[in-house]
Amino acid sequence: MSAAPEPAAPDLEGAPLILGEHTSESLNKSLLDHVWRKAGPGWWALFLPALGGTGLLAVCITYLLVEGTGVWGNNQPVGWAFDIINFVWWIGIGHAGTLISAILLLFQQKWRTSINRFAEAMTLFAVLCAALYPTLHTGRPWFDYWLLPYPSTLGVGPNFKSPLVWDVFAISTYLTVSFLFWYVGLIPDLAALRDSSPTRRKRIVYGILSLGWRGSGRHWHNYKIAYLLLAGLSTPLVVSVHTIVSFDFATSVIPGWHATIFPPYFVAGAVFSGFAMVVTLAIPARKFLGLRHVITDRHLENMNKVMLATGLIVGYGYLMEHFVAWYGGNQYESWLFFVNRAQGPFHGVYWLMLFCNIVIPQLFWFKKARTNIAWMWIASILINVGMWCERFIIIVTSLQQDYLPSSWDAYSPTWVDWGMYIGTLGFFCTLFLLFLKFLPAVAVSEVKELSHELKAEGSHG
Amino acid sequence: MTQPAGKPRKLWTVAEFSTAGALLAAVRAVREHGHQDVDTYSPYPLHGGSEALGLKKSRVPMIAALGALGGVTLGYGVMYYMNAVDFPINVGNRPPHSPPMFIPITFELGVLLSALFIFFGLMLLSRLPQPYHAVFEHESFRSASTHGFWISVAGAPASMDTGKVEADLKALGGTNVATVREEVA
Repeated sequence: MSAAPEPAAPDLEGAPLILGEHTSESLNKSLLDHVWRKAGPGWWALFLPALGGTGLLAVCITYLLVEGTGVWGNNQPVGWAFDIINFVWWIGIGHAGTLISAILLLFQQKWRTSINRFAEAMTLFAVLCAALYPTLHTGRPWFDYWLLPYPSTLGVGPNFKSPLVWDVFAISTYLTVSFLFWYVGLIPDLAALRDSSPTRRKRIVYGILSLGWRGSGRHWHNYKIAYLLLAGLSTPLVVSVHTIVSFDFATSVIPGWHATIFPPYFVAGAVFSGFAMVVTLAIPARKFLGLRHVITDRHLENMNKVMLATGLIVGYGYLMEHFVAWYGGNQYESWLFFVNRAQGPFHGVYWLMLFCNIVIPQLFWFKKARTNIAWMWIASILINVGMWCERFIIIVTSLQQDYLPSSWDAYSPTWVDWGMYIGTLGFFCTLFLLFLKFLPAVAVSEVKELSHELKAEGSHG
Repeated sequence: MTQPAGKPRKLWTVAEFSTAGALLAAVRAVREHGHQDVDTYSPYPLHGGSEALGLKKSRVPMIAALGALGGVTLGYGVMYYMNAVDFPINVGNRPPHSPPMFIPITFELGVLLSALFIFFGLMLLSRLPQPYHAVFEHESFRSASTHGFWISVAGAPASMDTGKVEADLKALGGTNVATVREEVA
């Protein structure tokens, strides 16, 4: 290595992916340290409200199960509301994790390495929150096994031609595969935790979790290909999951839902909101965990570029929906888009959606905005608000005023709807904070490999 | 190092190297000396590690393909049997056997079974979970998962001249050289 004060940039793209000079030993220490440190007041200050939110979720679910789904605001004609809005919102957030870990791995984007682990954790927890809603919306969740093909005494199986049954398979597959991918990635790091444990008890716990991994060359030989194949499987999976979610709407005949653009438009929206959530979480996490040397400003800037690109695709989706509504000449469609959504009872939500999803990301054309931490954090939150509004607009406005004015009715959410939404936010944060406390937030083994590679490149160049 | 009494099934001579390059050079040298039961231990996969160990192509892709094929067959088969043969369901006058409608679940099950096969295949091929392994007997070996590069040369007590292997590894630049044995239950 040269002794120059400025380390040479590892590739042509500019800022380095790992700041400063590190050996495996120092990376090990700086990346695992937060697991051994005692939780600080900052962690508790976040954890306790999050735990409170989880409590609220438990209260709301209990009340819901005792009283029935009538405690929610949805009723005819708005049979779907917060439950499906939040379901789609959470699933969408989850998709960025898979995109970062799988698709960017296949494209050999080195910058993914420091952010993939917690993006994957985010995926898992978001999918758990999402799965809660349809599970409870069945009304009697203890009968949810009826959705599965099992030898029933009724002699009848599920209707596999229904998109709602597709959802069951898509979500459970997504949850399982995301978990396996995350866990396989974690195994070498759990072994590193086991071997640097300060106490015997921790050594035993991490020892069990690491399955006795010893970094054997014969194991790595199979591991590398297994990890790559799981990434390869996750890539079409993530696209299929949100496509199937969009089929819940697109296969119906409701105005505003019956559109062939739904699958790509939903997938882009999912990635858009998911990256926004990764930025929202990464900025505080890298600060409090001392991970700025591996989650650099360049990582954040790249994520902002992805948000800009997917934001434009979402914008194109909106444009095409409106264009087809007008060009198609169907009075129900054009009335829905130009009168109901733009001027109807929820026009405020509609314009907020356009502002957050179309206007806000345009600022990411400017490098100043892409590299300003405070701005991107606010923008990422606004984008998530915008994407929630999008799902609200799609679901509620289409249902409350469809073909027959005689069957129109207004919708308003109840305190249980809001309580469950806030509750899942709390539950998500609880799981995420526990993850940050007990597991390495960054894929240590992969960062060591990257650091080794970058050094090799540097010495060759 | 104190070892429990009893007949060891296998002896393991381990040594640490400071860089990945030195480790791989040592692996090649040891294998040229005629030892084939050699393994490396490192915190991340080594570039060229599989080649140095002379490993055959991984069987994981075949296992994954079997899982995918099984999932697709199972998925389509179950749907066809349940919805078209055993109890035909007519909703919206879609034909009981409606291939386009069966695509999503067929695909999902293919992915699901393939992923499960990959995971359990990896476990099976690596003989994991395996909480105890003889190399863990050496206290310094803990660095293998954090920053150290280790080699092990294994053999049956009768056929292995541990003194010579230890001397060879030292000559190749290995440190923390030791011979450990499997604890016999």
